[in-house]
Amino acid sequence: MYLFLCIVSFISVFPLYWMLSAATNKSAEVVAGRLIPGGYFFENLKNLLANQNVGRALGNSFKYAIILTVVSLIVSSLAGYGFEIYHDKAKDTVMSIILLAMMVPFVATMIPLFQMFSTAGWLNTTIGFILPTVSTPFLIMMFRQSARSFPHDIMEAARIDGLSEIRIFFQMFIPTMRSTYAAAMTITFMNAWNSYLWPKVIMTDATSQTMPMVVANLTQGYVTDYGMLMLAVLICTLPTAIVFFCLQNAFAEGITGAVK
Amino acid sequence: MKKKLVSILAAGAMLATMLTGCGGSGTQAPAADNGGADAGAATEAPAADAASGEETLTVWCWDPAFNLNAMYEAEKVYQKDHPNFKLNVVETPWEDIQTKVTTAATSGDLSTLPDIFLMQDNAFQKNVISFPDVCMDLTNSGIDFSQFAAGKTAYSVIDGKNYGVPFDNGAVVACYRTDYLEQAGLTIDDFTDITFDQYIENGKKVLEATGKPLISMQAGECDLIMMMMQSAGSSLFNEDGTANIVGNDTLKVVMETYKQLKDSGVLIEVNSWDEYVGSLVSGDVAGTINGCWIMASIQTAEDQSGKWALTNMPSLVGAANATNYSNNGGSSWAVTTKCANPSLATDFLASTFAGSTELYDNILPSGALATWAPAGDSNAYATPNEFFGGDAVSAKIVEFSTKVPSNITGVYYYEGRDAVATAITNYINGSDIETEMKTAEDTVNFNMGQ
Amino acid sequence: MSKPKKMTLSRKHNLTGWVFLAPGALLILLMSFVPMVRALLLSFKTGVGAAMKSCGILNYTRMFQDAVFVQSIKNTFFYLIIQVPIMLVFALILASILNNKNLRFKGLFRTMIFLPCATSLVAYAVIFRSLFANNGIINLLLVNLGILDQPYSFLTHTWSARIVIIIALLWRWTGYNMVFYLSGLQNIEYSVYEAAKIDGASAVQTFFKITVPLLKPTILLTAIMSTNGTLQLFDESVNLTDGGPANASITMSHYIYNMSFKYVPNFGYAAAMSFLILILVAVLAFLQMKVGDKRD
Repeated sequence: MYLFLCIVSFISVFPLYWMLSAATNKSAEVVAGRLIPGGYFFENLKNLLANQNVGRALGNSFKYAIILTVVSLIVSSLAGYGFEIYHDKAKDTVMSIILLAMMVPFVATMIPLFQMFSTAGWLNTTIGFILPTVSTPFLIMMFRQSARSFPHDIMEAARIDGLSEIRIFFQMFIPTMRSTYAAAMTITFMNAWNSYLWPKVIMTDATSQTMPMVVANLTQGYVTDYGMLMLAVLICTLPTAIVFFCLQNAFAEGITGAVK
Repeated sequence: MKKKLVSILAAGAMLATMLTGCGGSGTQAPAADNGGADAGAATEAPAADAASGEETLTVWCWDPAFNLNAMYEAEKVYQKDHPNFKLNVVETPWEDIQTKVTTAATSGDLSTLPDIFLMQDNAFQKNVISFPDVCMDLTNSGIDFSQFAAGKTAYSVIDGKNYGVPFDNGAVVACYRTDYLEQAGLTIDDFTDITFDQYIENGKKVLEATGKPLISMQAGECDLIMMMMQSAGSSLFNEDGTANIVGNDTLKVVMETYKQLKDSGVLIEVNSWDEYVGSLVSGDVAGTINGCWIMASIQTAEDQSGKWALTNMPSLVGAANATNYSNNGGSSWAVTTKCANPSLATDFLASTFAGSTELYDNILPSGALATWAPAGDSNAYATPNEFFGGDAVSAKIVEFSTKVPSNITGVYYYEGRDAVATAITNYINGSDIETEMKTAEDTVNFNMGQ
Repeated sequence: MSKPKKMTLSRKHNLTGWVFLAPGALLILLMSFVPMVRALLLSFKTGVGAAMKSCGILNYTRMFQDAVFVQSIKNTFFYLIIQVPIMLVFALILASILNNKNLRFKGLFRTMIFLPCATSLVAYAVIFRSLFANNGIINLLLVNLGILDQPYSFLTHTWSARIVIIIALLWRWTGYNMVFYLSGLQNIEYSVYEAAKIDGASAVQTFFKITVPLLKPTILLTAIMSTNGTLQLFDESVNLTDGGPANASITMSHYIYNMSFKYVPNFGYAAAMSFLILILVAVLAFLQMKVGDKRD
């Protein structure tokens, strides 16, 4: 079993190792397929910092990703909870309709959405950046599916104790569903962090560039500096990896004891 | 039963809200649009005022080492006479410029667009025809277009009007590793002013002596095909915009030549652009044929300095008007109609990219070669390049660019290109050439007929 | 199916439910359905760029005569049928292994297996292209092991290009789905497993008799999401193979994108093709819901 896990982990991690070593090599060495870490890391870092405003991009990315994650978790979990705990035929139907919302490719709805946002004056604003993805059918469905395992007898007991519905949600549901929240947080953070097409269309100022935009800038020239590019990609990958590593215990260790 | 009724009602209500929501926003749209425009104007008004005082222009372009650098140099040149002048250059990859222009133009809100943006030459016809409101007609703006290479300017001329100020040179060069050629008993002279038949013969010798193919190309991309086509002045489209694929003898010769190149092993197909650049810098191939901008990538292999040489490309055999010159890539500056200060924008371009040898001298070290004729006379262009064996490559390329036959990109350039790429791939894999050309033309016609 | 306690929820509770889901549902209405309806109206129009005129259902009949689009439908379904089941089963197995309390270095293994989907697309594309290049590691390995005589050009052959896309998808998304299973497994009492062990159930039996049934809501979620994700597949087609060779690996979304931003823009047609995707996903999701969304 350990052998199996090691093989799977190796396959998963190998390309990342490649990225890491590429970030320490010269561009010509990278395209020539060199796999051993080299001594060019600081040179790449210097070039990258001279070439792109990485600090500002990281700041922007963190700002948008954190705001989006927090708002999105609250809105979506409320909705998922509402759909499941108080479910009836009508709500199930609405849920199915909501699911339809994710089934149209974004390229088709992007232009109508842009029209709406330009009318509302939301171009180049944070609200314009986050609003389309605050409430996603995916997250709502995820919370709806996990609310299915929220024990009803506890709710009844709480109601008898006189707890209001909203307090049951905040004081009982959220702590019980910590693992779901942690998983949802990881996924939402990752999606927000990597989002590209919509931010690119709606944010046109140089000052609002995010990390994925910096990476895209680096791939566009007549000459691509692969060492520098991979370093930027590495910087762009680390935050999600760290978020996952910090949260994985929360969503995988289990806290089922808390309610029993 | 009752429950069912409720759910139907709820669904109905949902639908109704959707439709009224939509209808509402539909009917409100014009009014709201005005509101938006007013708001835009309101926020822009001070900016425009400021612009007349401070003279600021916003520019979108890509590649810091190349296009952005050129813009910053142009800013410096222009600031000498206009101390208040400032540029706000936003680095934006080409595909994103295209996405933003398309989105803004389709939505009818151009307020997000900059004053000036850089456009790929191949996309000019498509964008000007599809979005006639975006680019400003520069014909009578005081810019002297006659001093640019004719083939280059043609990309941004639509219905006899100039929409772009030509920028970088895409003249095709053929680069070779002289050390590999030497092993096969050849020199760069054996590759100058030759035909593709001679090229293949030489290529076989090099392959035998060194085991290296003469050229690598990205599979499924038809860069080389398009270069070969243009070297004989041929296009995938006619003057009237109709497809020119079936019965295009030059295209047929090109496809057959490409297959010969591949079958003889002189040309090796690689999977991606990275792999293509990799094959150049790691010495896996003995040369390449591409737009002159490829030299910048080749020169990243510092250890190969002095081992490269540059000349013109081979000419097609059996094609009318065959030459040794062609073009691949390149871009031009467009001014948007949204620009609040058009006279400033055109004056800036007229006195820099269309009027300053100083600018072109300054940007030459970055590899940006002019298509503006007076720049080529400058001494800077005669400086020898050690990497390419001490040859004065810049002057050579400017000379090449004056000889490039002009061709018709056509509005449906990318459709045509993709269809031909598919045809080539199938033809190489053994399919019949006439059938594939017919299929390609059908595909293009299908895309044109709506 | 219906337990009495759910029937006794009072009208007030019913209303509370609507209040809870209102913000999320309204946002989706505004941010997704309004643009969707506009896109639907657009799909009955045709024209170049911003100049559009009505054309009835022309766009919908047109797409079935479009050889490239028909090819893209076939490709996309090929990816769906092969990749989604393998990925979900694999993710489920990994999750149940990594849920084992006695396993060492769990956190490390989990993070490593999750990492691929955190990797930025650019890196992932460059890495996979270089792995499968003519002089890439895969070819090097196969030639040195004597399986191949000379390097095989994976991305320029029809079937190998498609398989590379599937491998890339598996690599990138298995860990992602594993996260949902791991999180879902926390709602299963660990004592259930211990009891099963005491009863002498094998690992395989436990997996099929306990893990799978109890994870059914999560499995449904991931099945619908993966179906949706695969039918809208875009990144891999654009970045790994660019749809090639000769459109052998192009996906529907990639073609729609080309129609909108690469070619002469025809948004009416692009919208019509998008609604075909909606219909396809909706039908599949409906079938999956029918099978998997029973409350019991």
